[in-house]
Amino acid sequence: MPYTTGMDPKGPIPVSLFFTCLADAFSPGVCSATVEVLERFGATVRVPLSQTCCGQPAFNSGNRKEARAMARKFLLSFPDDGYIVTPSGSCAAMVKHGYPVLFRDEPRMLARARAVGERIYELSQFLVDVLGVTDPKSDFSGKVTYHDSCHLRRGLGVVSAPRKLLRAVPGVEFVEMEESDRCCGFGGVFSIKYPQISCKMTERKVERILATGASYVTSGDLGCLLNIGGLISRIGYPVKAIHLAEILAGKTAGRGDAG
Amino acid sequence: MELNANAFGRNARKALLDKTLQEALGRTTVRFQVHRDAAAAAFPEFEATRERASRIKRDALDHLDTYLARFIEEAEKRGAIVHVARNAGQAREIAARIARDEGVALAVKSKSMASEEISFNEALQGAGITVVESDLGEFIIQLAGEAPSHIIAPAVHKTRQEISLLFERHLGEPRTDSIPELVGMARRHLRAKFLSAGMGVSGGNFLVADTGSVVLVTNEGNGRMGTVLPRVHLAVVGIEKVIPRMSDLPAFLRLLPRSASGQTISSYVSIVTGTRRAGDPEGPERMHILLLDCGRSAILEGKYREILKCVRCAACLNVCPVYQSVGGHAYGWVYSGPIGAVLTPLLVGLPEAFALPDASTLCGACADVCPVKIPLPDFLLELRSDAREQGLKTPGEIAAMKGYAGVMKRAGLLEAIERIAGVLGQFFTKGKGIGGLPYPFSGWTERRDFPAPAAQPFRKQWKIKRGARG
Amino acid sequence: MNERESLFRRLSAACGSHGAAVEEPFPVGASMAVESDRVSLFAKMFTAAGGFLLRGTVETALSDLGEMLRAEGVTALFFPEDDAAAREIAEALVPFGPFNLTTGAEVRGGSAEVTAGFRAAESAIAETGTIVETSAGGKTLLPGLIADVHVSIVQAASVVARMEEALEVFTADPPRNISFLSGPSKTADIEQTLTVGAHGPKKAIALLLG
Repeated sequence: MPYTTGMDPKGPIPVSLFFTCLADAFSPGVCSATVEVLERFGATVRVPLSQTCCGQPAFNSGNRKEARAMARKFLLSFPDDGYIVTPSGSCAAMVKHGYPVLFRDEPRMLARARAVGERIYELSQFLVDVLGVTDPKSDFSGKVTYHDSCHLRRGLGVVSAPRKLLRAVPGVEFVEMEESDRCCGFGGVFSIKYPQISCKMTERKVERILATGASYVTSGDLGCLLNIGGLISRIGYPVKAIHLAEILAGKTAGRGDAG
Repeated sequence: MELNANAFGRNARKALLDKTLQEALGRTTVRFQVHRDAAAAAFPEFEATRERASRIKRDALDHLDTYLARFIEEAEKRGAIVHVARNAGQAREIAARIARDEGVALAVKSKSMASEEISFNEALQGAGITVVESDLGEFIIQLAGEAPSHIIAPAVHKTRQEISLLFERHLGEPRTDSIPELVGMARRHLRAKFLSAGMGVSGGNFLVADTGSVVLVTNEGNGRMGTVLPRVHLAVVGIEKVIPRMSDLPAFLRLLPRSASGQTISSYVSIVTGTRRAGDPEGPERMHILLLDCGRSAILEGKYREILKCVRCAACLNVCPVYQSVGGHAYGWVYSGPIGAVLTPLLVGLPEAFALPDASTLCGACADVCPVKIPLPDFLLELRSDAREQGLKTPGEIAAMKGYAGVMKRAGLLEAIERIAGVLGQFFTKGKGIGGLPYPFSGWTERRDFPAPAAQPFRKQWKIKRGARG
Repeated sequence: MNERESLFRRLSAACGSHGAAVEEPFPVGASMAVESDRVSLFAKMFTAAGGFLLRGTVETALSDLGEMLRAEGVTALFFPEDDAAAREIAEALVPFGPFNLTTGAEVRGGSAEVTAGFRAAESAIAETGTIVETSAGGKTLLPGLIADVHVSIVQAASVVARMEEALEVFTADPPRNISFLSGPSKTADIEQTLTVGAHGPKKAIALLLG
């Protein structure tokens, strides 16, 4: 059941962009692509500039004190109404499922966290489930395969939305890889603590990607793409890791900096 | 079993280089997974049964005091002798005493993870009693002097050639590459043991409170043989295995084999209740049930109660990409994979095993398949948080997290740092990926590039294009 | 305070008061097997579990059964003394042999013969293709335990749809041993290769009568 703003459905759709710290620093093109797509479908996009990081790395590594501080900051950075949309399944899942854990002993913050959690969407989920987009109106072209980010798929339950959108791009030849829902090995701090295991998993993922013969691998999470792209660029495989937002935005200059 | 959980990183690196293990892991986990998925899909009531089983287990644990008391009462009424052990040491003492008092020289054992927890075999051997593992996989690794590497396929890491060598050395059998021949050799050898053993030792998949029954599920038939043929039956079982009623059992019998190996049902289910009755032509004259606490009551008391719902199907191992990469031995104790990463620290204490909860990407595949809906990823997160609270994290990690959180407190500070990083990054990498980072990030860049920070972060771009109004 | 009391003290402290235990079992879902086709479902599932099913009358099944047993190299037919159905079939099979008849004692001692164990099943379960044998009334479990081939005699009328129904009769006071047997003894412990006859019978045959 999508959250409703209580506003005129034909009027402007207020969206606050949660651009994520990772995309901000490493792939700003993903953020601008997200804005471009949202505006294409009638959203009025605001970018709260005081936002930083949702705190997921701290939360996932068990450092809840620091995670809580970042979560508080996050909750204060976003307005009290309107949608919050992010090009990251993982960061959306953090706000939706992680924050209630962080604030389980603080009723007031918990209520706020839950309310914000109701309003937060990953980009493809928002486009399909809330805006009802069936044609993303993208001029991107190429053979594309899709990697299910764990937190987008299992955390938010978003499986079909990105696929529907990709299939609806006329220039995209969409091909499923085997084990598309198998973790790429990133896992945030996991890739730092156990890099050899992480890499082993990434290698298997890249094998599956290469087997499709696709020129692009895309996903709803930049973390996965930086990881997969890092291995691809080291070996020099003929495939490019690119964020879903960039494919949806279309083939314009400067795209494809995710990997 | 000897505990080596905090060496996970070192164990894992070793496992990654072990070619035989890697081949076996690839083969096994994929096959189990494919079969499990097919079995779940072919059973329309799978989800409903999962929900039901999960609720039954939850109820059983919420009232474990009541149900366990009922189990003991019913079992004793039917002639079983029930023993209780608080810890592994006590359990070993009791087991050895039972075997000695019963005049047992040879015991045949079927698979039991609980018995691994207490180093059961060593306890009996210390008392001069021979213990032979009868599950084929366990038998093989007993000959090899190793520990199980998978809950339901303990010898998954051994090839037929290695097994034939073991059989040649220990059983005097000729070398062969034929798996049926190898199985036949073990059958002949173990049959003789079953027929001469004084005591059969089993675990217990379920304890039925309203009848005092011990339920054993096997495919080979060893559990059945060991509880019918020898004069004495000893069941070593954790207290959390209780289910309230016999009528609850079918739900679990439908889930366990499907989740474990994709079978509709295992070849053999034995429901054994008490000692042989007057007029029974066979069956043990004496039945001992050794109930293990060994940390379980402490788990029951805290926030991890639901981990005790586990039915040991190993579905979470088979889908876990970390387990698939390193196998069971890396986890350094009885339990491996996601269940091991949670259960081991809870049973042996977090200081002894804090490396395990970190051994996961939190991908959630385990929670998807758990037949009793244990929230494994949530527990992994919770344990990582406990590790911080208990002072088990390195000062380096804490300092890094504090610094990171400090930066993230102020968008302006973050932006300034991004700008510096952007300039440096562009200068050193010329816009390409970073090929080498210093410790602790050096592991990442060993075989992967790390992205260079953007010359101009998005926040800055936005301000320039659309102004600072946000 | 002994260990048992101490355990229950810990458990009671841990459990606290969680309200009453759930009295009734959680509801069972819709029936998996429709009453009318339970026999054919049993046949299908027994075969799926790796068993061999023979249907018809004793007379019509004998020659197939004899052939199967010879193919397995069976030399001795083993049946419990007090099992009339098993005895009838074993004796009728002798002309299809050569087979020796035996009622047990020497088989338990680990004979060199290849044996087929005959036993009447108490019931059978359609959903899983399971043969139910118990020790109730002093019955022996050896034919399905230590023989190389197990032949179960199943009356069609005794086939129940689900496990619940098979267990129902035993819930008040179960016999020492209730066994669900579904297909032959199996193992995949060596290189994940499914192999029969790990400890129990290498072949499971059901003679479905009526």
